[in-house]
Amino acid sequence: MIFPKATISEIIGLLEVVNDSGGIEDAARLAADFDLELDEILPSIDGAELLGFVKVTDGNIELTADAQKLLDTGIRERKKIIRDKVGGVEIIKELKNKLIESSGHKMKKEDTLKYLQNRIATTDIESYFRIIINWTRHAGLIGYNSDSEEICLMSRE
Amino acid sequence: MLAEIKNVSKTYESDGNKISVLDNINFTVEDNDFICIVGPSGCGKSTLLRIIVGLEKPTSGEVLFKGELIAPDNPKVAMVFQNFALFPWLTVKENIELVLESKKHGEEAEKVACKYIKAVGLDGFERVYPRELSGGMKQRVGFARALAVEPVLLCMDEPFSSLDALTSQNLKDELLMLWADASMPPDAVIMVTHNVEEAVYMANRIIILSHRPGKIVADLKIELERPRNRKDPEFYRWVDKVYSLIV
Ligand SMILES: Nc1ncnc2c1ncn2[C@@H]1O[C@H](COP(=O)(O)OP(=O)(O)OP(=O)(O)O)[C@@H](O)[C@H]1O
Ligand SMILES: [Mg+2]
Repeated sequence: MIFPKATISEIIGLLEVVNDSGGIEDAARLAADFDLELDEILPSIDGAELLGFVKVTDGNIELTADAQKLLDTGIRERKKIIRDKVGGVEIIKELKNKLIESSGHKMKKEDTLKYLQNRIATTDIESYFRIIINWTRHAGLIGYNSDSEEICLMSRE
Repeated sequence: MLAEIKNVSKTYESDGNKISVLDNINFTVEDNDFICIVGPSGCGKSTLLRIIVGLEKPTSGEVLFKGELIAPDNPKVAMVFQNFALFPWLTVKENIELVLESKKHGEEAEKVACKYIKAVGLDGFERVYPRELSGGMKQRVGFARALAVEPVLLCMDEPFSSLDALTSQNLKDELLMLWADASMPPDAVIMVTHNVEEAVYMANRIIILSHRPGKIVADLKIELERPRNRKDPEFYRWVDKVYSLIV
């Protein structure tokens, strides 16, 4: 499988831009608008699609009702929507389940990288790790402690 | 009136040569102003902002904040930097608590830090070090840290220019959401940018500086409804207008 290398901020930024175009926009046009290569904007489009915020058909990006809901609400409420969406991503569900089963609800980064490497074909698994943690921290699901080099379930307040 | 910039001029000396950077700048900052200062590279925008917050002294003229001479440690004025200026050895929460140290302690500081961490959507990142953060999250820390002192005037020097285009869009919109929230500080914003579209998107007032030495060429009220839309023809007319005044 592949995983889109885009942060949550980039993805929401993309939704905001598509919204300005009336909720639907051509990918190539969007890239040109921002003086970006299509390659540079594709990960954000793929990320938005994976999270169910856009539908992509024939290079047209269209916002879903959930994206509209996200854009219409405040920063705090956005977090809740992100939490639901990120929690539904298959590989993140799997990681979460592994953490639930593991002792102390923790897992070494090393082991996490190995696990991800088996699922994502890449020579740069470290950068995917960073993106996944970016998503799961936003969602309040999985955190990472860089001192102990462990990922862990985040507690709900 | 919140602040008054009166006859401010600045001259630097290097190798015995005097370089005039700012030439007789005059304007006032009112409650609810969102001022963007635009102008060509090197025209003195950053210098002007540093003078306004009291980090630098003008060669002549003065800056009054609520009628008094501005001081660098004025707790009612906060600054956001282009390069984030976070302490790498401190976590997100510690970076924010640090600015509260002199005023609030322990639990009190923690409560305020948490409030602004949540306000900018940084919850979940409290114990993370800056090196682990994307540019967008770093600048969110910059915003939270500036807001945590509950400033009356927030000054920002190109806060979005080191972010990628999409992240920058996201942060602009979030900043405008915070700005629209009456329960949140500040009362007024001064933001420096060299990006005209960005200025028209954010500001209700744009101050245009000339080439060095910077003089005020125009002080424009931007009468565009919010939320603004970059695809709106009316938006483009404003962008064109500002460009025509710069060149
Ligand atoms: N401490 C200093 N000593 C000497 N010259 C300086 C000093 N600080 C700034 N300058 C000069 O003053 C001029 C204005 O600088 P300033 O950084 O305020 O411009 P700016 O409009 O912010 O530029 P930019 O768009 O590149 O950010 C520049 O020519 C700069 O070289
Ligand atoms: Mg500058």
